[in-house]
Amino acid sequence: MRGTDVRKTYRMRTGDGIEALRGVSLSIRRGERVALLGRNGAGKTTFLRIASTLLMPTSGSVEVFGHDVASDPDAVRPLIAVVPQESHPFFHLTPREQVYAYLRARGIPRDEARAKTEWALAQVGLEEVAKRLTITLSGGQKQRTMVATVLATGAPLLFLDEPTIGLDPFARRAVWRSLRQLTSEGSTILLTTHYLDEAEALSDRLYIVEEGRVLAEGTAEEMKRQVGGSVRVSVKDGGSLQEQMATFGPVVSEDGTVHVVTDPERIGELVDLAMARGLSSTVGPVSLEEAFLRVVGRSIDQD
Amino acid sequence: MAFARRWSGTGVFLGTSMRVQLHDPLAIVSSALVEAILIVFVWVLAPKYLAFALFGSLVYSLFLIGQHVINEAAYIRIEHKINELYHASPLSPEAYFLGMAGGIGIAYLPTTLVLFVLSMIVYPVTVGGFGALLVVLLAVWLFSASIAYVISTLFRDMKAIWPYAALITNVLGVVPPVFYPLALWPAEWRSIALVLPTSSGAALIESAAGLQPLPLGDVFLAATALALEAAVAFVFAVWWARRSSREA
Repeated sequence: MRGTDVRKTYRMRTGDGIEALRGVSLSIRRGERVALLGRNGAGKTTFLRIASTLLMPTSGSVEVFGHDVASDPDAVRPLIAVVPQESHPFFHLTPREQVYAYLRARGIPRDEARAKTEWALAQVGLEEVAKRLTITLSGGQKQRTMVATVLATGAPLLFLDEPTIGLDPFARRAVWRSLRQLTSEGSTILLTTHYLDEAEALSDRLYIVEEGRVLAEGTAEEMKRQVGGSVRVSVKDGGSLQEQMATFGPVVSEDGTVHVVTDPERIGELVDLAMARGLSSTVGPVSLEEAFLRVVGRSIDQD
Repeated sequence: MAFARRWSGTGVFLGTSMRVQLHDPLAIVSSALVEAILIVFVWVLAPKYLAFALFGSLVYSLFLIGQHVINEAAYIRIEHKINELYHASPLSPEAYFLGMAGGIGIAYLPTTLVLFVLSMIVYPVTVGGFGALLVVLLAVWLFSASIAYVISTLFRDMKAIWPYAALITNVLGVVPPVFYPLALWPAEWRSIALVLPTSSGAALIESAAGLQPLPLGDVFLAATALALEAAVAFVFAVWWARRSSREA
């Protein structure tokens, strides 16, 4: 999939427009899992909906397996499957009926649809509730039904808009495993997520999107390296040390605790500095969240 | 070939849609309440018009499918967002629309069948009359479901849809001569009644059954109007289904 300078402006009744995408270009290779990260309203869902033929771009193009999504959606649709954001299965179908009916609607033969349905329900751990109406299921089980519906298709390109929202940690990991297995079998996945641990655990590459633009692209490790170090030292009530700590690397103050990102060889100096003032300090690896906050925060500061 | 592919998923989605409806049998039973109440009123107040009320209730029950289509299509789109699951798939938007309309139509058919049996008990029709009745009911369903699907895509809030759905159903289904004879409608307005999709259907059925024979000119007017309305509504809905499957 390749998106080139994709722009989208939503026209309002007042005559004004909201620029949701301001020239997004990105590409995904076959078999990759790629995550779009961004704040609410950053443009992730808009891009995903354009790429999945559900929304027309204002300009630019998205090609899926060589087909333009705007001019040839009928060629694209058999190759993709989508979990829309905040979507729910039919409440008056069971998970088994929901998945099977969707596969049949996609033209998958009966026997194959039955087998794929059972496989997908097992993948997301819904076998025990497969015969219950989804209206009686928990929110997480409903969400897993949606994920199973799309997993079962085995479509070459899957779009998942916040697929694990509302799931408990076990269910999330079950979904991750299924997605990994699908890509190992050749499927390609583009997902949006708010969970940075999910993006890190699941995706081969990430795009950070903010205000309709791509701010950064790379692997999670590459993103973290952009922060300026690989470890974070946090000093509780370290306001008085903030200036000195800034000489070690980028500093952020949060609720009285001062965090500095630095190189591992400077940890000792920082800890000694804190101890000399009688302050406690903790040391940990730089997280993707810090990289995300730094990249997006820099953009906000510039604006 | 491309044409056949475009409609290929209709039957499967029709089955899905029907199954969803059948899980809620109370809604199906309660959908006949308006017809039942009106039939009882006519039976008590003017029993000589009972056959009219029964034939009218057949038309109304098919017209009412539109209200169910509006509510279901909008509910699926606004509350479940599951329409996007289907639109971003090989199932064509046309098949999605027709499958949904057909599935809801079949699920609610039992009430129509009960009304049909009652009609035949009160006023049996000939084979020719039965054929006309079937064609007219099919046209009413096609018109109603098509318009309903289009309307369902125009709103972003379920609460905004409910009054419109009820208004359309009652203004077109109860006010014109559907449950009562065309002859009771003011003479100068009869041509209007003969072009409305509900009252034209009722008048055609009653005429074919021999209950209230219409002059040939009126039959032609009513039949042409209903056929045109159904055809235009269906063609427009098919076009609209494709257009609205992707937001501009």
